[in-house]
Amino acid sequence: MATTAAAPPYVATREASNTGLWSWITTVDHKRIGALYLVTALIFFLIGGIEAEIIRLQLMQPNGTVVSAYTYNELFTMHGTTMIFLAVMPLSAAFFNFLVPLQIGARDVAFPRLNAFSYWVFLFGGLFINASWLLHAAPDGGWFGYAPLTTMQFNPGLNIDFWVLGIQILGVSSLAAAFNFITTIINMRAPGMQLMRMPMFTWMAFIVQFLLILAFPVITIALVFLQFDRFFGTQFYELAAGADPLLWQHLFWIFGHPEVYILILPAFGLVSEVLPTFSGKPLFGYPVMVYSGMLIAFLGFGVWAHHMFAVGMGPIADSVFGVTTLLIGIPTGVKIFNWIFTMWGGNVRFTVAAKFAIALIALFTIGGISGVMHASPPADLQQTDSYFVVAHFHYVLFGGSMMGIFAGIYYYYPKITGRLMSEKLGNWHFWLTFIGMNLTFFPMHFSGLAGMPRRIYRYDAGQGFTTYNEISSWGAYILAVATLFFVWNFVRSRKRGAVAGHNPWNAPSLEWSIPSPPPDYNYAVIPTVSSRYPLWDHKGAVVEFHEGEPIKTARELGIPMPFPTIKPLFTALFMTLMFTGLLFIHKNNWPMAYTFMFGGAAGMVASLYSWLLSPLE
Amino acid sequence: MAPQSRLRRRSLAALTAVLAVLLAACAPAHPNSIFHSHTDFNREVDHLWTLLIGLGSVVFVFVETLLLITLIKFRKREGQPAPAQTHGNTRMEIAWTAIPALILAVIAVPTVRTIFRTEAPAAADALQVTVIGHQWWWEFQYPQYGITTANELYLPIGRTVNFTLKTADVIHSFWVPELGGKRDLVSNHTNYLWFTPDSVGDDVFNGFCAEYCGMSHANMRFKVFTVKPGEFADWAKHEAEPAAALDTAAKPAAPAGKPAMPAVQVAQAAPSTESFVSFPRKDIPAYAVPQTPLPAGLTFDRSLVGDPVAGAKLVQQPTTMCMACHAIKGNPMMQGVLGPNLTHVASRTTIAGGLYPNDKEHLELWIKNARVMKPGVLMYTLGAGEIDPATGKPTEMGKLTDQQIADIVAYLQTLK
Repeated sequence: MATTAAAPPYVATREASNTGLWSWITTVDHKRIGALYLVTALIFFLIGGIEAEIIRLQLMQPNGTVVSAYTYNELFTMHGTTMIFLAVMPLSAAFFNFLVPLQIGARDVAFPRLNAFSYWVFLFGGLFINASWLLHAAPDGGWFGYAPLTTMQFNPGLNIDFWVLGIQILGVSSLAAAFNFITTIINMRAPGMQLMRMPMFTWMAFIVQFLLILAFPVITIALVFLQFDRFFGTQFYELAAGADPLLWQHLFWIFGHPEVYILILPAFGLVSEVLPTFSGKPLFGYPVMVYSGMLIAFLGFGVWAHHMFAVGMGPIADSVFGVTTLLIGIPTGVKIFNWIFTMWGGNVRFTVAAKFAIALIALFTIGGISGVMHASPPADLQQTDSYFVVAHFHYVLFGGSMMGIFAGIYYYYPKITGRLMSEKLGNWHFWLTFIGMNLTFFPMHFSGLAGMPRRIYRYDAGQGFTTYNEISSWGAYILAVATLFFVWNFVRSRKRGAVAGHNPWNAPSLEWSIPSPPPDYNYAVIPTVSSRYPLWDHKGAVVEFHEGEPIKTARELGIPMPFPTIKPLFTALFMTLMFTGLLFIHKNNWPMAYTFMFGGAAGMVASLYSWLLSPLE
Repeated sequence: MAPQSRLRRRSLAALTAVLAVLLAACAPAHPNSIFHSHTDFNREVDHLWTLLIGLGSVVFVFVETLLLITLIKFRKREGQPAPAQTHGNTRMEIAWTAIPALILAVIAVPTVRTIFRTEAPAAADALQVTVIGHQWWWEFQYPQYGITTANELYLPIGRTVNFTLKTADVIHSFWVPELGGKRDLVSNHTNYLWFTPDSVGDDVFNGFCAEYCGMSHANMRFKVFTVKPGEFADWAKHEAEPAAALDTAAKPAAPAGKPAMPAVQVAQAAPSTESFVSFPRKDIPAYAVPQTPLPAGLTFDRSLVGDPVAGAKLVQQPTTMCMACHAIKGNPMMQGVLGPNLTHVASRTTIAGGLYPNDKEHLELWIKNARVMKPGVLMYTLGAGEIDPATGKPTEMGKLTDQQIADIVAYLQTLK
């Protein structure tokens, strides 16, 4: 393994190239895979953002005519699907990849090639779903894909086929990555890195991996049913055969609610890294932060039916799910107060990263309060499927997840690239995002309470919706401008940002002890840890890098590095082609269907064999 | 750190401006607001809302104030000593675990009580209404009165109404924000929802489908008219009767040979046999009148005058396709169940799932090319030479001329 504490007397047989396209598509380095995740997910974030902007253009005035009903339904489905599966989840994965091995003092993840495979599956899955736009057959069943609307009877086009297969493909990516990170965190921590010494981001990442491996199989089952209904004539959701559509809803939300915590806990982790650094104080109540994260994850599996208060489950189920949902408010509230008291008594430096982290506290609180309102089922009957809910989950996912992720990007950009992002452009980005976000989503509380249902592509004037929608749209345009500042900052700083040094923020955790960007082997000497904040406490055997020191190569240090390989990419590609074959069934093109399915399967198995039979390092 | 505090002042000013705009935005009327206590259901929910918004506001103000104080008080200043390295405080952490728990308990108790009250079985003497969702319109049946109608409900003031909710296809959700919460119409399930519109007058409320149900989800609306009990009885008696206008149209069949005979006369003839004449409702408030713009490119020869007698014959000819989906009580040829029941179609204020006003102009265009008028709709494109958007080709169905359509519309308008 690549992580033995002491460097063995070993000479790497060849040096991995670090430049050029080939080096990127064959990389198995967790940091470069993290960077690939980051850039790919940000591009999908922009695509999802464009979809949102078109939605806001359409709704800016009553009876808007910017897009048709069909296109609008595609847009909101793809906006949700893209933002959840192709933006926020992989943005979190970018940080898992980049940070987890660094934070635990490891040289890579447990399965570097599986890690590459996860990325390529994610990329091809994302491209697969978005390829539907080219046929003007983008998914149009909502990100929640409720059967029976998504069955052949009511949606015979390719739209839902793309969605079902795309989500299945992405599930493979998430599951592979989850097992990888769990193995990494359990087995590959540096000496002295006890679980309760791990940085809070790694803790949240650890918890999220368990959520993934428990939640994704459930959606996989739901999707397999739907996929078999659509392609092979089974009758899981076939109304005429007496199917119960609540089967889909229960399965979907048993996945769907933990998914919410899959989206938010990594952001909580990032904020828990950013706030102590910029307060100059340790995280307030570290053990409680860990336990509350676990409790949120645990309770998250017992609340799914609060998405279903309107389906008529009866008073007992409504009461139980209402109360368990209220309970989740407690550990979440604890986190909010612990973050505030991390800053209390500190010297808070208002960098852009800190501002985004603080914004998460401020905005997630609003989403939390409206969340408690949904937890009361009779009140929820007036909120669910109205714009009030849209306001709520955008405060949670934009005000929470995205703010945390932006904080993480500004904070870790210097570690990833060696250069700082511009604080000036970052401030523009932050303030425009903060204002635009509130202008967009706060009025949605009012349009919802004024009786505006979700997912409608047009509404009449005089319904009490118009003014709120107009404000929301202007807010969305401000968000678009804010995002342009971010993109410019992100691209520009890569080459022209100030050189960061190994620890520009005076941060306390291990990853800041090594050069920026870190060498491919991460740690020349595996550190020995004896506290939670090794760079502040100066305890344990942690070698801090000195600027200007020469950085040796892995070969010079005798550190064995895994070979770069293209085999995971081929495995992922053939797997995606195999899924693509199914699409031809609905075009009645059986030769193509068989070619893709069997060709893809054969290619996948061959690549997999070749991958598994070739030595790692 | 002067620049930062200036920035903060500026952002505070901006936030104040935003709040001012939002408050100003509250001024216009909200005809679908959930906060109108017209029913027992909404009053129950209002109590919860008062609690939720009250506690929510306290928590919001407390947390955000605490956050702002922290940010102002503990911002980094020059020459400050390093902060004390505190790691936590068990007593404080217990406090902010216990206090939210207490707040949530205060919410949980009335919540559970309200759940059991609002989901209890409805009163035995309640008015029973069966709601059947269709892509994308509403079928309403009053089994106690033998009525089947569409897209418009009449409810007597002060009487509990118990809705039995079903769907003919996908999942829909029944929602009249001013009268009660949502309840889904779930395939292969039967759901119930009841409320008592007891603090309303003669009024009209907008209803929506609140569960995404496909292409025209946004175009699946309905109206609720609350009327005095006596008026409701008249309405119910009238709606239960077979289509009187058909007989009227059939009797003057011979004199109707005169094509100049205006449709209005036939229309007037129908109510003469009735005691109830107060519908379709006059003076409908603007918020209940659909404003859907007409699709571009769809035209109709407005100079044509329809002959209701010819229209009555046309609707029961298989070639026009009307009978495939629509029923007209009293006409054995018209027994379709896929589309709205047309027995008293002229007594409604809207057509097409509340999408258009029920007048000659809209009916004509609707029959000519429903699929252009409402995306994804099941009803065929029937106008001769019209392009069916589902296939992109001229329609094979109906192939009605404008004159034939005008005749059918003239007939439909007699179905008071």
